[in-house]
Amino acid sequence: MMLSLQTVLYSGAIGLMVIGLAGVLLSSHLFRTILALSIAEAGVSLMLILAGFRPDAAAPILLDMTAAAAPHAWVDPVPQAMVLTAIVIGVGIQALALALAIGVYRHYGTLNVAEVKEKMVRELNQQQQLVQVEESLHAPEGSRPLPVVMRGER
Amino acid sequence: MQQIALLVAVPLLGAFLLPSLARVHLLLARWGVPLLLLGLLLWTVPLLQQVESGAVAIAIGHFAAPLGISFYVDQLALWLVILLLAVTLLIWPVFKSKVHQQSLLLILIGSACGIILSGDIFNIYVFYELLSVASFGLVVERRSGAAYAATLRYLVVSSVGTVLALAGIALIYNATGTLNLADLARLESSDWDRTKAIAAFTLLILGFGVKAELFPLNQWVPEVYGAASSRIAALMAGVISKVALLIIIRLVVLLFPYPEVHQLLMVLAIAGVLFGELAAWQSRDFTRLLAYSSMGQLGLVFMALAIPGEAGVLAAVALALHHLLIKPALFLLAESWGRSLSQLRGLWYTQPLKVALFILLILSLLGVPPLPGFWAKWLLLSGLASLDGSLAAMALAVVAVATVVEVSYLFNLVRILVDEREQTVQDVPLTLPHSRVTGVLLSLAALILVAASFNIAAVGQHLQQIVQQAGDRQHYIAVVKPEIKP
Repeated sequence: MMLSLQTVLYSGAIGLMVIGLAGVLLSSHLFRTILALSIAEAGVSLMLILAGFRPDAAAPILLDMTAAAAPHAWVDPVPQAMVLTAIVIGVGIQALALALAIGVYRHYGTLNVAEVKEKMVRELNQQQQLVQVEESLHAPEGSRPLPVVMRGER
Repeated sequence: MQQIALLVAVPLLGAFLLPSLARVHLLLARWGVPLLLLGLLLWTVPLLQQVESGAVAIAIGHFAAPLGISFYVDQLALWLVILLLAVTLLIWPVFKSKVHQQSLLLILIGSACGIILSGDIFNIYVFYELLSVASFGLVVERRSGAAYAATLRYLVVSSVGTVLALAGIALIYNATGTLNLADLARLESSDWDRTKAIAAFTLLILGFGVKAELFPLNQWVPEVYGAASSRIAALMAGVISKVALLIIIRLVVLLFPYPEVHQLLMVLAIAGVLFGELAAWQSRDFTRLLAYSSMGQLGLVFMALAIPGEAGVLAAVALALHHLLIKPALFLLAESWGRSLSQLRGLWYTQPLKVALFILLILSLLGVPPLPGFWAKWLLLSGLASLDGSLAAMALAVVAVATVVEVSYLFNLVRILVDEREQTVQDVPLTLPHSRVTGVLLSLAALILVAASFNIAAVGQHLQQIVQQAGDRQHYIAVVKPEIKP
């Protein structure tokens, strides 16, 4: 079975995306989540580049325009421009994510996903002045009488 | 009309000039932002007349459509810009916010206008990212641990959405070699592989659905709205989600008018409605109740969008407009009421006007007949009823169940608000801050609602005309005129 270059590259791109997204879902540490995101982004960038890639073609800038080359002799420059934009945006967002992670660590002293979530929910509840144990809003009116047995034991 | 790009350029320029201006004089920065927004608003309103007969397309830098970036201005887009500017002006606290927040707000406005007007998927993606970054900055403003944690989790979800959307964009470019919406709309369904198209749509809708609170990437909503100030929550739930919705409307109308796409949208919408309403029923505080119910309401909007043809778009726009009017008002109310529901007992006796207005707003939200909410929900239900198939029947049932659940939790809240029995028992007397501004804005929203319910025929007719223009695929192609490629 012959594997073409593009097949290999496409599987690589999709593989990177899957690794990254799985990392986001599965990792228990926020820093690893951010790293996994950057892996996924690398996969997508590769995929975008591949959309304009042609084997045996030159970079568009090196082409001798006077040679009246065949229209398929250069790779499509549009996706390359787009990937540049996407990479710059990705770097900015990663910097922001790391800054936020520092903020989280300063306040909570941990970057463990479960612990951060627990502390966040507790803080949000406090902010809304929610008492943890509270009677159900949908419970019927009036107090519920205790079972006779329990009263008897008292 | 050629200067429509100013809607993007001026706020962005202002955002970066503002910190320097603030050094010269603080007053300049403080008054600069509202005056700028007011100026843009007054400049945009007369443009509505110019697009009434037909939409206008502008090639940025005179590069023609498929290669260059085109802006597409129709009535729907302009109305959204006007509502965006008006709502921001009304709810933004001019005198309380710091300079960098004002800068972020301007970036948010500029990028939202870019998303609304742009006619190129990649350009939309870039503005969408800009909007995300600005919203992260606004959400984290309280700098508490919860704000940092909620924003970071929001950023992670948002970035996952970005990765999916970019993969969708790559797939479209791979299949068609163009990203211009008009150029893509021209393609017949035979021109590109249906499987690829549906895969691309799935990726795009999951990606852009993050901001539109589409299930399943909407789990950030309650945390972020809880951690951010109510005004930011009002802005994001009210307007920014509609901006993302407009992307999805354009995608469904122009690129993917396929039955599979409508089915996918319907499944996601049903799940979103059920999840949002049930979670709202369970929540114990006002802010999160609103956040979850907002997810449910937007689920209804997507359900409407899943109805093929113009009827679906009309129902979606009507529901979205109604949500845009009511949700910011309710979130502003949450600024003074944002706390445990059981502590709101007997509020009727201290703030009767606000409670009365609140009841009016939720009646419209539920769809009680004379109010506009009824009309919007009626459009959805009649659209769903006209469809065949088990999915549409299930959607009808879900709408009915969701309405019952909504009635349950909202009227339970009303019952708490007018309960006099508990007020005397409680040892802590209720001292909620009186906010005059909130009262005025609430009255304004209620007034618009009542006015709309008296003129429902005229409003409906105008809306239909707007949607007719937005839903016309051939019109979009004819206006943008992408050059035929060799």
